[in-house]
Amino acid sequence: MPPQDTVAPPFFTWLLGPGWSEAGLYQPAMLAVFIVLLCGGLVAGAIAMRKGSAAISRKTAILLAGGILGAIVLLGALALLLWLFPVLRAPLAGLLGTGWHRGALFQFAAVVVCLGSFAFAVGWLAVAVQRGPEEALARCGRVVGEAAFDLICLSPRRVWALTWLTVKEAVRRRMVVAFAVFIVCLLFAGWFLDPGSGDPARLYLGFVLTTTTYLVLLLAWFLSTASLPADIKKRTLFTVITKPVRRSEIVLGRMLGFVAVGTGLLLIMGPISYVFVVRGLAHTHELPDADRETAEQLWNLPPETVARKGPQKLTTDTVNGHKHTIYLNPLKRVLRDGRAELETAAEGSFATQPEQGHWHAFSYETSDEEQPDGKVMRRLRTKLGPVLGRPIARVPIFGDLRFKDREGRDARKGISVGDEWEYRSFIQGGTRAAAIWSFQDIREEDFPDGIRVEMTIEIFRSHKGDIEKGVLGSLWVRRPAADPKVENWVEVRSFEAKEFVTDVKLIPRDLETPAGEQLDLFRDIVADGKLELRLTCEVPNQYFGAAPHDLYLRTGDAPFAWNFAKGYLGIWLQMVLVVCFGVMFSTFLSAPIAMLATMAMLLGGTFWQFIKDLGSHKVVGGGPGESLYRMVNQDNLVSEMPPGLRTTLLQMGDVVLEMGLRVVTRLLPDFGSYAFLDDQGHACVASGFDISTAMVAKAVLSAASFAIPLFVAGYFFLKTREVAR
Amino acid sequence: MQSEVIVETRNLTKVYRDFWGRQKVRALKALDLEVRRGEIFGLLGPNGSGKTTTIKLLLGLLFPTSGQALVFGSDAADVRKNQRLGYLPEESDLYKFLNAEETLDFYGRLFGMPHAVRRQRSFDLIEQVGLAKAKRRQLKEYSKGMTRRIGLAQALINDPELLFLDEPTTGLDPIGIREMKDLILALRKQGKTILMCSHRLDDVQDVCDRIAILNEGELKELGRVDALLKVQDVTEIHASGLSPAACEEIKQVIEKHKGRVLSMGNPTATLEELFVRIIRESEAHPGRRVRGSQET
Repeated sequence: MPPQDTVAPPFFTWLLGPGWSEAGLYQPAMLAVFIVLLCGGLVAGAIAMRKGSAAISRKTAILLAGGILGAIVLLGALALLLWLFPVLRAPLAGLLGTGWHRGALFQFAAVVVCLGSFAFAVGWLAVAVQRGPEEALARCGRVVGEAAFDLICLSPRRVWALTWLTVKEAVRRRMVVAFAVFIVCLLFAGWFLDPGSGDPARLYLGFVLTTTTYLVLLLAWFLSTASLPADIKKRTLFTVITKPVRRSEIVLGRMLGFVAVGTGLLLIMGPISYVFVVRGLAHTHELPDADRETAEQLWNLPPETVARKGPQKLTTDTVNGHKHTIYLNPLKRVLRDGRAELETAAEGSFATQPEQGHWHAFSYETSDEEQPDGKVMRRLRTKLGPVLGRPIARVPIFGDLRFKDREGRDARKGISVGDEWEYRSFIQGGTRAAAIWSFQDIREEDFPDGIRVEMTIEIFRSHKGDIEKGVLGSLWVRRPAADPKVENWVEVRSFEAKEFVTDVKLIPRDLETPAGEQLDLFRDIVADGKLELRLTCEVPNQYFGAAPHDLYLRTGDAPFAWNFAKGYLGIWLQMVLVVCFGVMFSTFLSAPIAMLATMAMLLGGTFWQFIKDLGSHKVVGGGPGESLYRMVNQDNLVSEMPPGLRTTLLQMGDVVLEMGLRVVTRLLPDFGSYAFLDDQGHACVASGFDISTAMVAKAVLSAASFAIPLFVAGYFFLKTREVAR
Repeated sequence: MQSEVIVETRNLTKVYRDFWGRQKVRALKALDLEVRRGEIFGLLGPNGSGKTTTIKLLLGLLFPTSGQALVFGSDAADVRKNQRLGYLPEESDLYKFLNAEETLDFYGRLFGMPHAVRRQRSFDLIEQVGLAKAKRRQLKEYSKGMTRRIGLAQALINDPELLFLDEPTTGLDPIGIREMKDLILALRKQGKTILMCSHRLDDVQDVCDRIAILNEGELKELGRVDALLKVQDVTEIHASGLSPAACEEIKQVIEKHKGRVLSMGNPTATLEELFVRIIRESEAHPGRRVRGSQET
């Protein structure tokens, strides 16, 4: 089930918590110090890399690693303390902003501290059983100390050598097969994908993205989990470990090698997929001779007659299961002797009506042809251009959605019309019920001609009426009021909503209040980039269904190729995570077990949202135990459990299981967030929405927040295991 | 003056355990050893006596259950010691999808060697181990002997001070064995220290200065090879050009001094010597049957 709270917070709010902008720590002076330190660190790092790891002394390395670890431990411990004792939150709010502990950075630190402490305790316990507590502590301390050096003083040359080895191995063994499978998939798909379907762009893009994702992840899974165990089994690792190679370099070299292989594959697959999609969608139409001859008549009639007839409706031929309508008006106004007169144009160009989410440019030109009888006939030559408007990357601004019920009271949801999928809820027509979207970050420069609203309204008809006709609705705007009781709505326009059609409405800059007052949209209504938009249904007993992403403001379009590349970046991030998990598991598990473990992570990450909902008691049918009970007894999902000891025990068990599931969601990456899915679970690239920079930045940071700890964990596992048997 | 100790084990013990931590086998029991700079030290023993375990412990491939394994004075788990050592594993376990040049280049990179140095070193070593003609072939196409040679080349890539050789002559033909032994002796002349383990007694006897004999994980004997093998009350004389009369006279002299002649006659060459001589002569004169080999 897709998430209900769909408006993602801005990047820094997500990273540092909601109140970060008021916090002392992020003021310019502090930021300047931070940037200087960062640049210094980077320069020092670059020098050290150039001169090799010997340039960094052991002490410096331990100091550096200690500093990083110390900072993480401090932040994490603070976040944990604040979670346990909320009273302590206030004193730090001045420095870090209110709600800072909800920021991703602090949550990351808290998880690292928890996991680190847990790992240290387990390690200590394992050694203490054999050698006593004191020696165990000394040994664990020594391992951590050595780790600081091993993790900081990486030799680029050795890491590169191991990366090169990994790539070579993959290339000489298996990668070609994956690539061949991809090509075969595309060839087969070329036969079976129907460009005449309702939304061929989504079909084609969905197909290439899914195929690429599965193939690349499968390859990453297979390569990354099998390689190290094979190295250990065949003892090839012996000759590597007996060279001056740190275990951290082996883990990093392996990870980078598989990432390089996956990157290479994606770099080949990306452009091929792009060409496949663009060529698959490319087509043009022609005007049938009969229509062209009909149109030609217009040029051979007096302009006044043409004007009386109105625009001529023409229809193109059918290509890819659709045809376009053209409304041809050959007339133009010219000034002659100071008077405006109508005459037929010799040439002109405009667009066809959109169909399947695209349109074509239509142009014509005329020429005179002398007939055998001496008359001059105007001949018409028409031309239809290539596909326009598809594939696209719309840049939307989504809003938060809330509802008003029949009496005009606030409601979190509208009326349920019995859909099992509770994503949309409905408002009743002819009442005070309304769906209200609150937008922010609206900038005047994005909407120079007024705000473009796009919406797909679902209609639930409680009586049939005229099924050909749409249902009348209205759009209203207002400045977000401090007092919610103030009803300062300004009606923008009434419209006829139709099923399965994306309506495009323009909120003009100049608006008029019911009292006749003239308003400017940006000067008088949009305040601090905020705007509220209300949708009402005007026909009694008909219903409009609305979900957060059903209505959005479209600021413009981003380049599709760039959006496509961002979609591939998402696949790349998923591949990186699979590689990191695969290599980490393969440092201490045999190949089949590492494969199973990685697959479990992949599946868990794919169903992350569901696991989170299950852990938060949001799924209908109760927790895991209760659901199992219902399945076994063939109970329905919504009936109350019979009161008694059994139910109490099940629910108590579920409390524990749900806590476990919540912990699991903290440790698993949400693969959906790297696939850049929209709120209905479709890839943004395929749905034609731009993947925002904030989404990319969050995904990259979040992937790094998994990849780095996985690398460290892999190092510890390889460091503390015996390679030989 | 005794030279510097560069490999040392103190009370080194290794117990192999199963998944549940239960003891499976006690592979090494409180081993105390010292290997000095410049010597060839041999670990001898039957299969399962703990030779390879000792080497793996010294290389940090295994962790000791108790005791210490020190190489160049630092713990075996310290990777920095690897800068100065080379290791030839028992099976020459190398990456089969690489060719000889790539293999040496890869291991050279692991030592952080610059490109030009790696190139030169790889070239020299491939010449030295006689793989110049096969340097572009992937190792999966190599015979066992060729794999051994490239294994030795990778062990020498960093010009190490200390070499660990695990069964260095396994899989080699008699010529290869002879060359390997010559190479080991040549390396000693260059001042390198070698710790080898083998169950081929003749190899050990031919090249090692000192040996340790292990059985069931315990040290049974340790000392210089010549001292250990010396038979104190038997005297050996090798002479050439003696007539039968002179031989009879020598016998009488021995008896006069109350000695006892155990045997007297013409010595026989070893089969290895014969084989090596025939192969070398046939290489020097292709197509000609080697003189002396017709006699049956």
